[in-house]
Amino acid sequence: MVENYLPILVFIVLGILFGIAPILAGYMMGPSKPDSVKLSPYECGFEAFEDARMKFDVRFYLVAILFIIFDLEIAFLFPWAVVLDEIGMFGLVAMAVFLGILVIGFIYEWKKGALEWE
Amino acid sequence: MGFEQIVFYIFSAILVFAAGMVISVRNPVFAALFLVLAFFTSAVIWILLEAEFLALTLVLVYVGAVMVLFLFVVMMLDINLAVLKRGFRRYLPVGFVVAFIMIVQLVLIVGPEQFGLDKVESPTPRAADYSNTEELGRVLYTVYVYPFEIASVILLVAIIAAIALTLRKRKHPRFMSPEQQIKVRREDRLRIVKMKSETKL
Repeated sequence: MVENYLPILVFIVLGILFGIAPILAGYMMGPSKPDSVKLSPYECGFEAFEDARMKFDVRFYLVAILFIIFDLEIAFLFPWAVVLDEIGMFGLVAMAVFLGILVIGFIYEWKKGALEWE
Repeated sequence: MGFEQIVFYIFSAILVFAAGMVISVRNPVFAALFLVLAFFTSAVIWILLEAEFLALTLVLVYVGAVMVLFLFVVMMLDINLAVLKRGFRRYLPVGFVVAFIMIVQLVLIVGPEQFGLDKVESPTPRAADYSNTEELGRVLYTVYVYPFEIASVILLVAIIAAIALTLRKRKHPRFMSPEQQIKVRREDRLRIVKMKSETKL
């Protein structure tokens, strides 16, 4: 089974090499004469006056955590879909209960307005 | 030393390096990105352990979703590094004591006598057409159906907790409902008041 993943390993190695090679070539062949003015950050010609990173709204976090929960639900669906004809009715009911409980959460978040963006 | 062992040593070296960088780099965003590298390399190690479904789920869920959440949290907290480093020297002895106790506990519980190929056998190599996903599905929805349903309850609790903790309604929302705008009648906006004309005294 592991030998099926050999092409992926080759891809990983090639990807890393292709990523490193241009950076390395540019680093080695390009002229580099840095001074303090060249390296200083600027925006549109004048000095930067604040940190580029700023606080995110907490609502992005809510959207992300709801995404994770339903992402996990999808992850549970994959092996179920592969073996559904073997586990039969019992598996179908088990997944129906699983999805039913999560649908309660989905209705709750819908009614609470967590999916709306004002 | 077989080819798989070489791959294992390379990727576990990267994993240990990435895990060390997670707790030692200054910038929290870089720490989160090193955690992504750690997740990827541990996924490779899980594939070497013949757990392909878990490895792909690790990439899908942790790299795809959990790391986005971590980055959001890092951005949201707006960590001030100068404040974080303020008490570093003062708390260092306490930190060393806690770290020492944790290392002793780890060695006692999962020390070398619990590991090794004589204690835990290496996974039997499977044929090329073997599906780890099918194997998992056969037991997860039949033998382990009760923990499976409990997982959905835990997810439900997570949904409700996330909404209860973070959902804040804006006081003056700038959202306009077109439906209500169309439904407005003249009587709602305009009032004609009849009054007597004022007479000059």
